[in-house]
Amino acid sequence: MSHVKDLIGLEFKPYTMTVEKGKIKELALAIGDDNPIYYDLEAAKKEGYAGIPIPPTFLQVIDLWGGMGSVEKMEKLGLKLARVLHGQQSYEYVGDIVAGDVLSVTSKVVDAETKTGSTGSMDLVTSENQYRNQRGELVAITRNTIVHRH
Amino acid sequence: MIFYEDVSEGYEFPILEKEPITRVQLVRFAGASGDFHPLHLVEEFAEKAGMKIIAHGMLVMGMLSQGVTSWVTRKNVQKIQVRFSKMTLPGESIQIVGKVLEKKPDNTVVGEVLAKNKEGEVKVSGIFEAKLPSR
Repeated sequence: MSHVKDLIGLEFKPYTMTVEKGKIKELALAIGDDNPIYYDLEAAKKEGYAGIPIPPTFLQVIDLWGGMGSVEKMEKLGLKLARVLHGQQSYEYVGDIVAGDVLSVTSKVVDAETKTGSTGSMDLVTSENQYRNQRGELVAITRNTIVHRH
Repeated sequence: MIFYEDVSEGYEFPILEKEPITRVQLVRFAGASGDFHPLHLVEEFAEKAGMKIIAHGMLVMGMLSQGVTSWVTRKNVQKIQVRFSKMTLPGESIQIVGKVLEKKPDNTVVGEVLAKNKEGEVKVSGIFEAKLPSR
């Protein structure tokens, strides 16, 4: 892709998904995270939550099950799936997110550049997602950088 | 619970040792997360790309985050940012290590967190911020 900078500002279609207790448990089990707050409402309440909270990386579930899958997303960006790797990821938690919350997400490309390293050149594409709950409160901001090897 | 006064700059958190990553775990993680990239699941796809099946970077970040939330309570974590530096293969055992880099006057603690294999190779490196309660 020669004009990767043209991707800056590209907005993905917004999406909405409910935070499901079962998906929280499923992700925690897959990671092997045995923190009781993800499984037991009483344990969550003891830590000051109104419901079962999400593990730190759970917003990935909202993105992939609620929004576009990685295959579609790469098509939209014009990048080849087999040449794409996850470069960087950040999560900023602004407010609590618990089971039953309904999250609405906006997502756009905020940075894109081509770099040349020892193994050849590559595109770095960074998108930022903002998550708002059913009360309209901004609860999280994430940034994701993918690396597309030429 | 850990308090702001309990840690100083350079304080090393207890190491979290994870079980070896299995192929079944990658399948389970794919379903849980919704990341069905064939590089994590399909041998033939990986071979065609000149690679081997690798673990999801986000699985390792999930383990890294588990480390952070074993050191400070989940509710106190404000930010986790990571860089994926090396691929992780099924069979590797990940350990999560971390230390305090900086203590800010507003009770924010900035820490380093690394996911390494048994040989000490860093797979994912990150920084986290947590606001700790005072005694």
